[in-house]
Amino acid sequence: MLERSGGPTGPARRGGIRMFILRRILQGLLVLVLVSIVVFAATQALPGDPARAILGRTATPASLANLREQLHLNRPVIEQYLTWAGGLLHGDAGTSFSAQEPVTKYLSDRIVNTAFLLLLSGLISIPLSIVIGAYAALWRDRPFDVITSLITLVLAALPEFVVGLVLVVLFATTVFQILPAVIVIPPGGRPWDQPLGLILPVLTLVLAVTPYVARIMRASMVEVLESDYVEMARLKGLPERLVLRRHALPNALGPTFQVIAINLAYLAGGVIVVEYIFNFAGIGGALRNAVQDHDIPVVQALAMAIAGLYVVLNLLADIGTIVVTPRLRTRL
Amino acid sequence: MADTPVERTGDLNGNMLTRRRLLINAGVLAGGVMLAGPLAACGGTSTATNTGGTPKRGGTFRLGVTGGGAKDLIDGQTIITKPDQARLVAGFETLLEYDKDYKLQPGLAESVTQDAPDKWTIKLRSGVTFHDGKALSADDVVYSLQRILTSKEGLFGGAGLASVDPKNITKVDNLTVRLNLKGPDSTIGDQLGQYYNGIVPVGYTRAGTQIGTGPYKYQSFTPGQQSVHVRNPNYWRSGLPYFDQVTIIDFPDVTAQVNALLSGQIDAMTDVPAAQINVVKGHSNLAVLEGQGADWRPLCMAIDMPPFDDNNVRQAFRLIVDRNAMLQQVFSGHGRVANDLYSPFDPAYDSALPQRHQDIAQAKSLLKKAGKENLTVDLHTTDGAAGMVDSANIFATQAKAAGVTVNVHNDPNYYGDQYLKLAFSVDFWGTRNYLPQVANGSIPSAPYNECHWPPSGSNYIALYNQALAEPDASKRADIIHQMQKLEYDQGGYIIPMFNNLVDAYSTKVAGFNSGSKATLNLDSFGHGYRSIWFA
Repeated sequence: MLERSGGPTGPARRGGIRMFILRRILQGLLVLVLVSIVVFAATQALPGDPARAILGRTATPASLANLREQLHLNRPVIEQYLTWAGGLLHGDAGTSFSAQEPVTKYLSDRIVNTAFLLLLSGLISIPLSIVIGAYAALWRDRPFDVITSLITLVLAALPEFVVGLVLVVLFATTVFQILPAVIVIPPGGRPWDQPLGLILPVLTLVLAVTPYVARIMRASMVEVLESDYVEMARLKGLPERLVLRRHALPNALGPTFQVIAINLAYLAGGVIVVEYIFNFAGIGGALRNAVQDHDIPVVQALAMAIAGLYVVLNLLADIGTIVVTPRLRTRL
Repeated sequence: MADTPVERTGDLNGNMLTRRRLLINAGVLAGGVMLAGPLAACGGTSTATNTGGTPKRGGTFRLGVTGGGAKDLIDGQTIITKPDQARLVAGFETLLEYDKDYKLQPGLAESVTQDAPDKWTIKLRSGVTFHDGKALSADDVVYSLQRILTSKEGLFGGAGLASVDPKNITKVDNLTVRLNLKGPDSTIGDQLGQYYNGIVPVGYTRAGTQIGTGPYKYQSFTPGQQSVHVRNPNYWRSGLPYFDQVTIIDFPDVTAQVNALLSGQIDAMTDVPAAQINVVKGHSNLAVLEGQGADWRPLCMAIDMPPFDDNNVRQAFRLIVDRNAMLQQVFSGHGRVANDLYSPFDPAYDSALPQRHQDIAQAKSLLKKAGKENLTVDLHTTDGAAGMVDSANIFATQAKAAGVTVNVHNDPNYYGDQYLKLAFSVDFWGTRNYLPQVANGSIPSAPYNECHWPPSGSNYIALYNQALAEPDASKRADIIHQMQKLEYDQGGYIIPMFNNLVDAYSTKVAGFNSGSKATLNLDSFGHGYRSIWFA
């Protein structure tokens, strides 16, 4: 997030946008280090014997010894952490206990599938929500605004698993049977080979994100439209199109970027539920499975990947906000 | 968890033939015991639900399964996740097979006979070929059994065949194998009929090409996602199977699985949750297939730990349970009330023992006799298999009537250090015949003896050894009845019920037997997908 308050704004902080980005990257790295400590502590450094917890009823002395060796459980906790974190830095996230192959190889296809789902949902929901929000503000209290406000409020209140299941009942199973209820991606296949199967999962994610962003966009746009400079622009006799495009929209986008970033990051979590409902072969299913199977290397890698996505999206949002808000740029 | 929900590993052996019949079948092998009866000898209680006229060839059968993941594997001789069962039976076959009525039938073996208490002879069927065209021979059987007994392979069947001496499995001729056991064992036939004791070719490894003798050849497999199996044109049962292809798809979630069935993306699914049974029944093009499973979720009282070291307390607890209420609440009635004894499909199961009913007054008086009125106990459970947590909670509620306070601990780490050391806990088991089950859970050498059975000074173990050494089925049943009586009177298990297997399929598919006693879902997957077809 931006440091809107606090921190000296004097010469010490000068350095322009480049220094700002560098600083934010360093902060992001620090966050990742802290997250890695928490993830490690929560998965591997628990009290008790993780090996026994993982193997459960099947544990034999030989398999316990094997697993302790694989997890380096015989060494001090600090050393275990450093080995693991060092591996991550080299792109080595260890070997999945369940799949018996490197975590990176096991997850690569799934990460591509999930990234595609997120990207597609983002590409649809972001412009859509900006347009809806902007027009709702522009046509404030007119039917379009009233209807979209109501719909977005209802959708924002519904968790995505409810939305997803309702869509399935409506379009795939009970009411109409026009779309596939699940997406079955054959091994080696890709989600984009099955555009029909993508419709419901993407629609669910779009419906999960659009309401929030549209409502923030509307609020932000309403504020901007009431501002002095828009009034001024109108009084100058600028055409309304120009007023909106040049003056209102860019200023309304600043706060919206932050919300978009939070929502996209939220999608990375929400996608787990959506993948679950639609049987989508992505990281969601992998994470759920890994937790169930005590597949610690996979859980650790996915937790780090999702944390990384949060950091990157927030960084992009901050940069985006700075770029569209000259007022903030001068403070750097 | 090892034999996780997977545990359906039946050792159900059907009515072992009577001694007289055995002798007739055994022919020249006078005095020998032949387990495998003629194939035609079925005709039990189950019925084909959907005859669909004459079977036809063709089509791709798509099956949705849950409970799998990255651990999924294909191995002709073991499983880890539940979907592995569905995949194994498509490509691999066993020497003997259980039919829909739990009767052992010849499979790849024409006969399996016990020549002496510690000697068995396997006669193979001729003309069977593996998927790669190689003919099945005695060498493959020797290799297969030795692989099962190699402990570092960690295969499922090793424990049940522990009496077989791997160095003493001998090839008599190209189609005959002799097993010389380490000691008497009358359960070898049962074990050879277990679906996971598949016959693999010499040199088979899990990492190598998957080659079996089954009705479908393996084409592709991605763990946690799907596998494709194509028709084996040279299958030894001529004319079978009917489908061109079988595709088995993993679903992480049962809701997605049901939705896929409703929208026609799969043709059948395993394990319909109770809440969804009516949803499926509401669709005219779908049907529910209910098989009589014999899975059980015992409440286990360790007989050497207080307060259960007093048999009055154990008996009182068994009288506290309202079995029918528990069956209704845990499995919505899809199952049968049990009588604290396991292995109901074993022909030696003693159904003459009176059914226990809830009797709070008697339970209270037994507790009083033990000086344990107003008892408080901890009951440990976990989400290891459907119904484990519910059973514990319902028992706790029912126990209040007898003045017993039960504190339920739902512990995700249940199978950790404390497992098998708890005084009172819930566990889960699949379907097995009596003696193989005893080997797994009711003697000191068993890997999972939750109840610490039998009590010291009991003749239970002597009876067990006697039963193993007794080749005559009816004499063996007498011994088993004595063992069951001991467990019924003094045992540590509370077994309230057995749950059914509830699956669903599209009515396009014909040939499933409803009420089947097959140990695996969907009538043992249409017996390896060979007895079902698209009508």
